[in-house]
Amino acid sequence: MTESVCTYSGNRDEALVTFLYDDDTWSGGDRAAFGVHVSTCAACRDELDAMRGIRAELGRWNPPDPNFAITFSNAPRAQSAINQQSAIDNQPWWESIPAWAQVAAALLFLGVSAGIANLDIRYDSQGLSVRTGWSQPRNAAVATTAAPAAGGASVSAKGDAPWTADLVALQQQLTAEMRTARTAAAASAQPAAVRPADADLVRRVRALIDESEKRQQRELALRVAEVLRDVNVQRQADLARVNRALGAVENNLGVEVLKTRQQVNLMYRASQVVR
Amino acid sequence: MTWTDEELVARSIGGDSESFNELVLRWERPIYALAYRTIGREEDARDVCQETFLRAFRALPGFRGQAKFSSWLYRIALNLCRDWIRRERRAPIVQPPEDVDVMELAAASEPSESIEDLVARKDLSRAVERAMALLPDEQRTAIVLKEYHGLTFQEIAELLGCPLSTVKTRLYQGLTVLRRELAKGEQQRAKKATL
Repeated sequence: MTESVCTYSGNRDEALVTFLYDDDTWSGGDRAAFGVHVSTCAACRDELDAMRGIRAELGRWNPPDPNFAITFSNAPRAQSAINQQSAIDNQPWWESIPAWAQVAAALLFLGVSAGIANLDIRYDSQGLSVRTGWSQPRNAAVATTAAPAAGGASVSAKGDAPWTADLVALQQQLTAEMRTARTAAAASAQPAAVRPADADLVRRVRALIDESEKRQQRELALRVAEVLRDVNVQRQADLARVNRALGAVENNLGVEVLKTRQQVNLMYRASQVVR
Repeated sequence: MTWTDEELVARSIGGDSESFNELVLRWERPIYALAYRTIGREEDARDVCQETFLRAFRALPGFRGQAKFSSWLYRIALNLCRDWIRRERRAPIVQPPEDVDVMELAAASEPSESIEDLVARKDLSRAVERAMALLPDEQRTAIVLKEYHGLTFQEIAELLGCPLSTVKTRLYQGLTVLRRELAKGEQQRAKKATL
């Protein structure tokens, strides 16, 4: 026999839901007992069928593709997002300075450092070269070492006054002429074994200087990359803040638009009534 | 070899960031889906998802394993969703018109899917979404956790901090409202079709 009105003595709503989801909060006996009731109760059976239908409908609702490109789509990004967030949260006081001011400070610092480090940038037939440190260029080194040998005063190739360059050029010319004369005379007097040793020494010194220059160039490139990375992180943090602020402004604007629209509607209705 | 959540948590606490990344990859979609179905906005759901993992990452050293890692994550996400809903109620935004949003359609369109298929899919999904939006928060959350995340009644009760019987009642009431609203929507669509 099938009942059209439910006569279940317990909490029917809870029992229906538990039966529907087949959850383990019921003992086997309770479940079996309610199963027997459902088989004889048309009301409960209909309601269970309707609920199963709703569950099928719910299955149609899928969230849109999250597109985690900017969140956690892959591990390195996730870590970088966490690192960035940690960097923002634990930022020291100086990171609250605007990015442009930090860039300006960084450039000033680089400029002063370059000045102190005797930065020498050259663009000639050999291409672009950046030289730092107190090592002199090869030509200048030859000129300055040759000068005492010639008995003249040592003049740095790096002068401030405009005439210094002319003076150095003149000195180089004179010392070159004198050296040519000296080497021609010395070549005949010196033993042949000494010359290769000197050449080897010069080669080694040059190799050392080259290596040192390369190392300094690498160091400079590394520092520039670090500054760029820091600027980029700060820029992203600033963008996130701006984005958040814009969102708040957008919300406020939305509310204002809604209010205005309501007022216009009200006025419109009022004008209709007046007519 | 596949590590369990608990093993990955232990390794993460020990300083292995790759393990935490693995946890993120494993749980980002369920957490996003939970957030989306609770607050109903893609962009905000993504934010909630991201924030959930950031909070979890920060709080990981304090995680003692009293609950499952997934339950712990769900709790963080639900708290964030609750905060979001509270904020939105204070500063409501203008709701978009109920008709099909062309911009949204354009954004959601995939090359392999025709616009007709897309509209049909969106319509079906939208009907459920609208009906779910009508539910009170606690009923909606109970349904989402049970229906889409397969949590037991006991787990839901612990997550939401309410008795088992309350969870069941919320589910029953929620399903009843959904049944009514979906039937109403069905009738309206049928009426429109006959006109």
